[in-house]
Amino acid sequence: MNRLTGLFFCVSLLFGASWLGLVAYPYLTFAGLRQSKDEATGALAPLGVPGTATQGARIYAANGCLYCHSQYIRAKDEGSDIDRKWATRRTVARDYMFDRQVFLGVSRLGADLTNVGVRQTDPQWFYRILYSPQTVSPETSMPAYRWLFVTREIQGQPSADAVKLEGRDAPPPGYEIVPTDEGKALVEYLLSLKRNYPLPEAPEATE
Amino acid sequence: MKQPVVAEPELGGGTTAEQVSVSIVDRSIRIPVLMFFGSGVLWLAVASFFWVLASSQIYTPTAWWTLPGVAWLSFGRAYPVFLNCLVYGWATCAGIGTGIWLLSRFTDAPLLNPLYPILASLIWNVGLLTGVLSILVGLTSGNELLEFPSYSAFILFLALVMVSLWAITIIWNRKPGTMYISQWYLLGAFLWFAWTYATANVALSLAPAPGVTQPAIAWWYAGSLVDLWLTPIALAVAYYLIPKFAGRSIYSYKLALLSFWGLALFGGWTGMTHLIGGPLPVWMITASIVAKVLMLIPVLAVAANFHRTMESDYGGLRDNLPFRFVVIGAMVYTAYSIEGSIISIRSVAQVTQFTLVTAGHTQLGLLGFCSMVLFGAVYYIVPRLLNRQWLYPKLLTAHFWFTVVGLGLLFFGLTIGGMIQGFGLQDPQVPMSAISDLIQPFLAVQNIGVLLLAIANLGFTVAFTLILLISAPARQRPVAIEQINEASESTEGEVSVA
Repeated sequence: MNRLTGLFFCVSLLFGASWLGLVAYPYLTFAGLRQSKDEATGALAPLGVPGTATQGARIYAANGCLYCHSQYIRAKDEGSDIDRKWATRRTVARDYMFDRQVFLGVSRLGADLTNVGVRQTDPQWFYRILYSPQTVSPETSMPAYRWLFVTREIQGQPSADAVKLEGRDAPPPGYEIVPTDEGKALVEYLLSLKRNYPLPEAPEATE
Repeated sequence: MKQPVVAEPELGGGTTAEQVSVSIVDRSIRIPVLMFFGSGVLWLAVASFFWVLASSQIYTPTAWWTLPGVAWLSFGRAYPVFLNCLVYGWATCAGIGTGIWLLSRFTDAPLLNPLYPILASLIWNVGLLTGVLSILVGLTSGNELLEFPSYSAFILFLALVMVSLWAITIIWNRKPGTMYISQWYLLGAFLWFAWTYATANVALSLAPAPGVTQPAIAWWYAGSLVDLWLTPIALAVAYYLIPKFAGRSIYSYKLALLSFWGLALFGGWTGMTHLIGGPLPVWMITASIVAKVLMLIPVLAVAANFHRTMESDYGGLRDNLPFRFVVIGAMVYTAYSIEGSIISIRSVAQVTQFTLVTAGHTQLGLLGFCSMVLFGAVYYIVPRLLNRQWLYPKLLTAHFWFTVVGLGLLFFGLTIGGMIQGFGLQDPQVPMSAISDLIQPFLAVQNIGVLLLAIANLGFTVAFTLILLISAPARQRPVAIEQINEASESTEGEVSVA
């Protein structure tokens, strides 16, 4: 074995260690996750995600929501996430087992969205904050996602999911602002973010 | 195993024979290196545009000049386009160009088939272009620094394999006996980057990893990208140019070896510090924190080595612009790494995690360290390839000062603003809207910093275009640039140490 072969070998070996530890190990371990079954009720958790929500996850990625919003909760002694009432327990690997794409996120310019579907159950709230974030929270630096909506003439009855807006943002009389299919899918996805079922490995945080 | 010999970078002995052979080497790699540099400079201009846009949008999301309501120019797309153009467009292109130049110099043999790296640079740019367009229309993977869809990633990977095979072959066939420390770093960089890039893309799009394995792999990749690709490339440049400029051989080979092996050992483990408290096994995150802290060993070894090589003689920085860029970049590397270790410690991360501090840290590494060193490399290499001088020395000086001041403002704004944001986030009584309000002035400061950096990069683009287009005959050279070039030239010939 000449010197250069040795160097090659060592350089690859050192790097290969991190590859085994941080890539191969989780790949094999988390492929084997199963749902948890409640002893008393037989309820399974977590449950799968509906199809439109999966569609919406793609819109979430395409519009870069993940650059300002996180989707994980630290344990009570590791941060203020639980005190902020974003969740009642930390999140664990099993919470994400059905997610086609996992957006943990590393920035919190906006609120954590782990359980946003628990906090807000009205699609209207989501439509409003997506169409005109400053009407929901004046100081926010969140951009408006108006391309997820169309303004159209009201045909007969107004649509049920037309966005209720006032003042400057309101559509001209006879018109309404409705979410596109993409907008609906995104909101469907956000509404589906409910990681509030019990898991044995992550007990509810106590005071 | 016996340690391979690490020889000092070529110094002194500026015989005619050596000068001639260098110029033959330079002529053979002129086009490929300039293609990589040129596309790098163009992508830097693109990155700067999107950077200004994204940072303005965060500061005033509703102002008309931040172009609200245009899907493909919205923050969620401008930001990843900026980051990807900066990393894969500018830093990686400039890094590959510098790598080709350095490796050819060390081998001292002209490039036999320049078409091969030219082709690689074309393929790389096709991959980048499709990737950037995909992000703009909303076809992204949703993993930071891996936003390019799989087809773009595959094109990029092809180019990367071409370049890496070339680099490894040329190191393999080097003259027996000598191996410069820069060659070690380049060998590592080209081996590791292709490996990490392939792994991350296969595990995230071809055979999607289950659940939380995705972010684990994505952050392993991001850590490796910085520590095992951009860092070793920039250090290879610094280890070559600093002794050359200082007119001395590197202070200690043993320290250089320590810094190389330290990086190789810890570099792949650092990424999980982004996910402290996350839904991953605790040992993975702890291993990353440990690696990040132990990384101080190779970092301080680099710092000590460079400092002793300079022998506290920093006077040359005044006249020699490429030197100034490289030395400041190397100094920022030390500061950046120390900051990285500090913000990785769990108790500190409780405050700084999820805040602008981490963004400031990343941008300090990408701009203050990697880009500064690569700017120095471009300023040093291009005149040698073209046998021309940089026009308008004031433009180059302005580039330097705009970069330094812009970076200072950016770092100050993001770090102080981020700490305020972090303490705010930690206190559950402080609502999110109040935090937005508190950090507003700091976002303004970073916005000005980004604007200055963009102007600096524009100046750099202009300077690069001018040297490509206009041949400045030696006699009409402005006086100041003569000094710049003499100062850097003098170390190639007979070295006189003042």
